[in-house]
Amino acid sequence: MKPIIAALAAVAMIFSFTVATGRTDDSTGFRQARERLVYGELRRQGIADTRILDTMARIPRHRFVPAALADQAYANRPLPIGEGQTISQPYIVALMTENLALTGSERVLEIGTGSGYQAAVLARLTAEVYTIEIKEKLHRRSHRLLGELGLENIRTRQGDGYFGWPEAAPFDGIMITAAVDHVPPPLLEQLKEGGRLILPLGNPFHYQNLVLITRRGDDFTVRQITGVLFVPMTGFALDKDRRASEDRP
Amino acid sequence: MILPAVFLLSASAIALEILLARVFSITQWNHLSFMVISIALFGFAVSGAALNLMEARRPGSAARLTTEPAIRRLVVLFCVSGIAAAAGITRLPLDYFRLPVEPVQSLYLLAAYLLPAVPFFFAGLITALAYAARPETSGRVYFASMAGSAAGALLPALLLPVWGEERLILICIAFPLAALGYGGRSDPARRGRRAAIRLSAIAGAGIAIGTILTVPAVSRLVRIAPSPYKGLSQILQFPDSHITRTRHSLQGRIDRIRSPYVRFAPGLSLKFSGKLPVQHPSFCDGDNPLVRYSIRHPDDLDFCRFTTSHAAYTLTGTPASVLVIQNGGGLAIPCAMAAGAGEITVIEANPILAGMLRAHYDLPVIRDAPRAYLARTDRRFTVIHLENWGASMAGAAALNQDHTFTTEAMDACLSRLSDRGVLLITRRLLLPPADSIRLFATAYEALAGRGVDQPENHLAMLRNWDTFTLIVSARPMENADRLKRFARERNFDPVFLPHIKPDTANRFNVFDRPFHYRAIQGLLAGYQSGTARAFFRTYPLDVAPQSDQRPFPGRFLKWSRLPELHRSTGGRLYSLLMSGEIVVAAVFVEAFAVAGILLLLPRWARNRVNQPPGGGRFRLFFLAVGAGFMFVELYFIKSYTLLFGDPVISFAVVLTGILIFSSIGGLCSQRLGRRGLVPSLLALMLCLVLLAAGLPPLISRVLRFAEPLRFFIGLMLLLPPGILLGLPFPLGMRLLPGSAEHRAEAWTANGCTSVLTSILSAQIALTLGIRAILISGFLAYAAALLGAVQWKVNGETGGQ
Repeated sequence: MKPIIAALAAVAMIFSFTVATGRTDDSTGFRQARERLVYGELRRQGIADTRILDTMARIPRHRFVPAALADQAYANRPLPIGEGQTISQPYIVALMTENLALTGSERVLEIGTGSGYQAAVLARLTAEVYTIEIKEKLHRRSHRLLGELGLENIRTRQGDGYFGWPEAAPFDGIMITAAVDHVPPPLLEQLKEGGRLILPLGNPFHYQNLVLITRRGDDFTVRQITGVLFVPMTGFALDKDRRASEDRP
Repeated sequence: MILPAVFLLSASAIALEILLARVFSITQWNHLSFMVISIALFGFAVSGAALNLMEARRPGSAARLTTEPAIRRLVVLFCVSGIAAAAGITRLPLDYFRLPVEPVQSLYLLAAYLLPAVPFFFAGLITALAYAARPETSGRVYFASMAGSAAGALLPALLLPVWGEERLILICIAFPLAALGYGGRSDPARRGRRAAIRLSAIAGAGIAIGTILTVPAVSRLVRIAPSPYKGLSQILQFPDSHITRTRHSLQGRIDRIRSPYVRFAPGLSLKFSGKLPVQHPSFCDGDNPLVRYSIRHPDDLDFCRFTTSHAAYTLTGTPASVLVIQNGGGLAIPCAMAAGAGEITVIEANPILAGMLRAHYDLPVIRDAPRAYLARTDRRFTVIHLENWGASMAGAAALNQDHTFTTEAMDACLSRLSDRGVLLITRRLLLPPADSIRLFATAYEALAGRGVDQPENHLAMLRNWDTFTLIVSARPMENADRLKRFARERNFDPVFLPHIKPDTANRFNVFDRPFHYRAIQGLLAGYQSGTARAFFRTYPLDVAPQSDQRPFPGRFLKWSRLPELHRSTGGRLYSLLMSGEIVVAAVFVEAFAVAGILLLLPRWARNRVNQPPGGGRFRLFFLAVGAGFMFVELYFIKSYTLLFGDPVISFAVVLTGILIFSSIGGLCSQRLGRRGLVPSLLALMLCLVLLAAGLPPLISRVLRFAEPLRFFIGLMLLLPPGILLGLPFPLGMRLLPGSAEHRAEAWTANGCTSVLTSILSAQIALTLGIRAILISGFLAYAAALLGAVQWKVNGETGGQ
């Protein structure tokens, strides 16, 4: 009887260990899927910055999603992470990061930590990352996970991102991943001269395009970046070959 | 006993149907609330097929199931399954938002479809049994069914404000228990105690209802919470954010929120560096917020002067009077205040929201349908601000019927402008350009319809990175320079201005190409060269102006261009599944397959020799009658949405009216003999012709009457068609010879075509317009007439 009990206990322990560590284990399967996503799909979609590609190839996205969705972590689409939140589509993460034009010495503010994945990507590409999340559960979860990954150049905060992080301002880059219908004026004030602010438009499962705002003195230019999210439709009014000067009635 | 059971279960079933639609509207989005009609009718159709199969396998099943003990069991099964369904679907982790990324959601969706179908199955079964077992009293059965349904349609309208969705669902499921007290007529020994038994049953139902109302654990069986992706769920996760009050009505559940984190200011310029005032949001069905601003100091209004909406006020100066047509948002009122408007009048259709706005701003807020007010008033306004932000997801509002963005609506607004007045509409900017083009075209055609020469001189459109504002001026814009200056100062881009220069259209909010500017220029070129129809035909999306006959301003899909649309939105299936129209198509395909199985399965199971007399003609008749009834009912529901300003109110009024009057028709059918079938169909068809010609202009005239009179006239207009609609089915049932299983098959056929018709009508309205639904009804009854005539010619009818 005793050997049977011991064997069962051992099996239970092994099973529990497997379940407990399954998400943290960066198995060969996950690594290969990640590399296929990054060096295959994202590159095909026009992401050219090799630093970003290499960074995303190293960060285990499957650790940022619920265990039940880990096998979908390296599909190029957004995933629900609970609390009505999503982890962004990898292409969106790459496109937003690419458009921040980071060289490695910047200080970046992220509004809406969410899963923490975007912050993790930024942390490997720049000097300092400040990230704010208003929802307590998400903040605790991402804070813990970013700590486990050993990303020491990230500072997290639970709070109202509308007012930014004035103590750490100004920022070279600001990324807003929370839903907004206007750009919070305090964030514009915390943007450095020449700084870039980026935010996605649409809903988390269907971002239409990105908005990139660049500061030049007191002026701001706004550029709509569609990437592959929007392919202009051909037709009478939207013929690509027509130049603007030809559009006068 | 069976007639009281039919009455009570029909009442309960309709009330449950309406309340389930409310549940889906709150927990999901409108796509699924549309599915409820299909679920209910599916349950009815399956009941007929099941009875048919039972009769085929064991003849006499119908008679055995109409004994009093059997009916009591069916009533109890209805109640138990209803409670299980209500509790089950509100606990399912179904989230339509996650359907494309979580395959398990499709299982939850299937469960959400099948679970509520079970109580409808039992309700339908009792009615099918009544028809099958007693064909000679089909008229009375029809009366009980329809009158019960009519009563049930009224219950949510009256009781939702009192008890809310969660408790009312349980109450509506429980009250048919009173039917248990009926019966005992056949047992002389029980006659003396009949009254006591009846009272006991009613008391039992009362106790059940009392328990629901007073015991929290019972009422919590049904828990209705919005999807975590809806605005309300999101904001409740913020610190110090909570619901302060919830109010229920047929038009929506309104939750008032207190939260320091609400900042609604769409179209705000990057040049604004001030602060936003404190805001108090209310959510309708968990989404579509209406925000009230706390204006304690004039500076609190500064932000309005930095929005695209304020552009219109640069043309008018300080307006003498402003009319705000409110449908969500909330920015319009402070914009009018910021402009220093002399008088501000607000129209809000929802009574709860109207009361909140009135109390908060101390302004005259008129609770009425906007089109009715515009038809009735003779006032003129300097500015009319139509605030309606639409759906945040492209495609999600495709099925929404809205009469405030049609050419007739635009004309009505223009007729209420003063000489120098402007109409202003601000909406979300979408890619590919769609909404902006449609609204521009609608304004252009409305102006042209009023005899305006060169309508483009009356139009302007500005945008920022995610909103656009359309301005329609009563006079040619003489001071467009003010708009140009405003746009430049605020870093907005003109999409269209009189004499616009192309290089100004994409300067501050830069797209790869000036997509919206180009699209408008192409449209304008079309109008000026007389080739606008060609523009609409070749444009990849349906952006043609909408009319009152085809009022779906959120619908842009062209099926022929679906592959291109899919590519255009990044090749993501998700974006297509968010389209309500695609959901309708998918549901129709599924329902068609299921209907086919339900109709064919009993025939395969049945002995070949036991085919009904005049098989094909009999089926044609009942299929056509089922379709015709639903087409006519849905035609009225959609037509009356203009009259009452709200599709839910229209649904409740039409359902109640049609059901009451058709129940009277059912009673009248008892007096008609065999010869009455064909004349009744002819009379109905004539009535439909008269409706097609006369109802739309009549509605336009009635629109200007006060609301109580509109309701009364609307109800009375249902009387002639309602009575006539109540004749064919019970007549057909009574005149159909043969066995109970044939009558069950007739019930199945009726149910199946009702399901398909309810879904098909939505697509017909979207594609061809509302009147096409009535034409479809006419054709259905023509087919029924064909079946009836051939029936009669062959002498195949039985009964009297």
